[in-house]
Amino acid sequence: MDARNFTFMFYGFLAAWLIVLLYVIVLARRGARLKKELEDVKRIAGEHEHADRH
Amino acid sequence: MREKVAIGSAVAAAGLLTYNLYRMFMVLPDEALQGAIYRILFFHAPAALVGMVGYFVALTFSILYLSSKNFLYDSLAASLVEVSLVFSVVNIVTGSIWARIIWGIWWTWDYRLTSALVCILIFFGYLIMRRAIDEPTQRARLSAALCIFGCVDVVIVYKSIEWFRNQHPGPVLDFRTGGGHMDPAMQTVFGLSFLAILLIALSLVLIRTRQEALAREIDSLRRLAHTAA
Amino acid sequence: MRALLVARKDLAVELRTKESLNAAGAFAVVILLLFSFAFDPGPEMIHEIGGGLLWLVFVFAGALVFNRGFARELPNDCLDTLLVSPLSAADLILGKAISNFLLLVVVELISLFVFGIFYSVRWAVRPWELALLFLLATWGISILGSVFGALTVNLRLRELMVPVIIYPLLIPLLIATIELTNLLLTNQPLTASDFLWVKIIVVFDLVFTALAVLLADTILVG
Repeated sequence: MDARNFTFMFYGFLAAWLIVLLYVIVLARRGARLKKELEDVKRIAGEHEHADRH
Repeated sequence: MREKVAIGSAVAAAGLLTYNLYRMFMVLPDEALQGAIYRILFFHAPAALVGMVGYFVALTFSILYLSSKNFLYDSLAASLVEVSLVFSVVNIVTGSIWARIIWGIWWTWDYRLTSALVCILIFFGYLIMRRAIDEPTQRARLSAALCIFGCVDVVIVYKSIEWFRNQHPGPVLDFRTGGGHMDPAMQTVFGLSFLAILLIALSLVLIRTRQEALAREIDSLRRLAHTAA
Repeated sequence: MRALLVARKDLAVELRTKESLNAAGAFAVVILLLFSFAFDPGPEMIHEIGGGLLWLVFVFAGALVFNRGFARELPNDCLDTLLVSPLSAADLILGKAISNFLLLVVVELISLFVFGIFYSVRWAVRPWELALLFLLATWGISILGSVFGALTVNLRLRELMVPVIIYPLLIPLLIATIELTNLLLTNQPLTASDFLWVKIIVVFDLVFTALAVLLADTILVG
């Protein structure tokens, strides 16, 4: 009983950490994508402003 | 400033968790009837609590959004729902693994598990609906309405499913009766575990809120760029 | 009451074409038929699960009715016209709820009739209690269906969104209703603890009707 108990306890901890880790990875990727999008849009907005002035 | 709080709480959580893990494994004895697996409780129950608290704090922010129309409240509500959903899933999965050993089955339709599953479905629907709306004001408004309906329903769900089923063991730590059957040493570990998970949740919510604000900024810049073109 | 005006308008439109009624009614009959193939139920099984089967059928058929409710107002800017009229948003949602309620009751009667024939169930043994139960529960389903029909009217994937959002919310109502339906269909006496279910249904109806009226402006107007 006890060996199986330990194995499943380990699985339980692993599951908890894995789920949170997966979410952190999702957040990180979303953050990177948003940053890139922000730079792109800033660049485009800057170009248009530049074009408007001339 | 918000970033500092997010990083700070993550670091504090990491410290707490390391200390706690040490105590969990080195100091605390195995439980008489359950063996080693009872230690899952130190993640299972705090995750459930954090999830529940998160939904109701999201409710507060939803109401605040509707009265003030400040998008920060909408971002906070959405982030809270998302993070609470993650912890609710942790709750169900760890509970299921524990149940496999103690009850011999992965799942049972007892009232707590069923209520938890219904909550997950309700707020998953919230997130799905948010993704279907592009316009920020409409998204914030409808999300707030759905959050209110959802949270009110959660209360009714818990009470009704409790009446319907009765298989989950009695609560080991029942705040309502003002005491528990938990050994004091375990109670400290439990309390610290709850604090640690709360700090992790806080950190994640702050990061996510920042991302929502960023997404809105991008959206408005994009509109500006299009109208200028 | 102005909500009744909205309800009358909707019912008039629906009765002219009967599209929702036909679709929902046919759907209900098909599900009842499929069930007999899936489970080949005997009388004991029907006694145990008859209530559950019936209410699942009603909820699924109801989704067909709710989806049409507000979507019907989209062409020709009908919805915008209704919103700028002297009608309040609450009138609109309540009116839709009333017409959905009546349509759903008709579908339920058809289903009960078919159910009784297919499965040899005498469902009219406790007619008044059953009628009251059905009216209360159907109102709960209708008000939520209308609110979320209104909420999702402008969204993509509207037909998918309404079931995904409503069904989890309806679970407490369904649990209570199915319990009571099973008891009434098998002519068992209602004990004191069974009245808890009645309380749940009544509380559900009151709370969500109140919320619908309170949040109607938020949902439809902004």
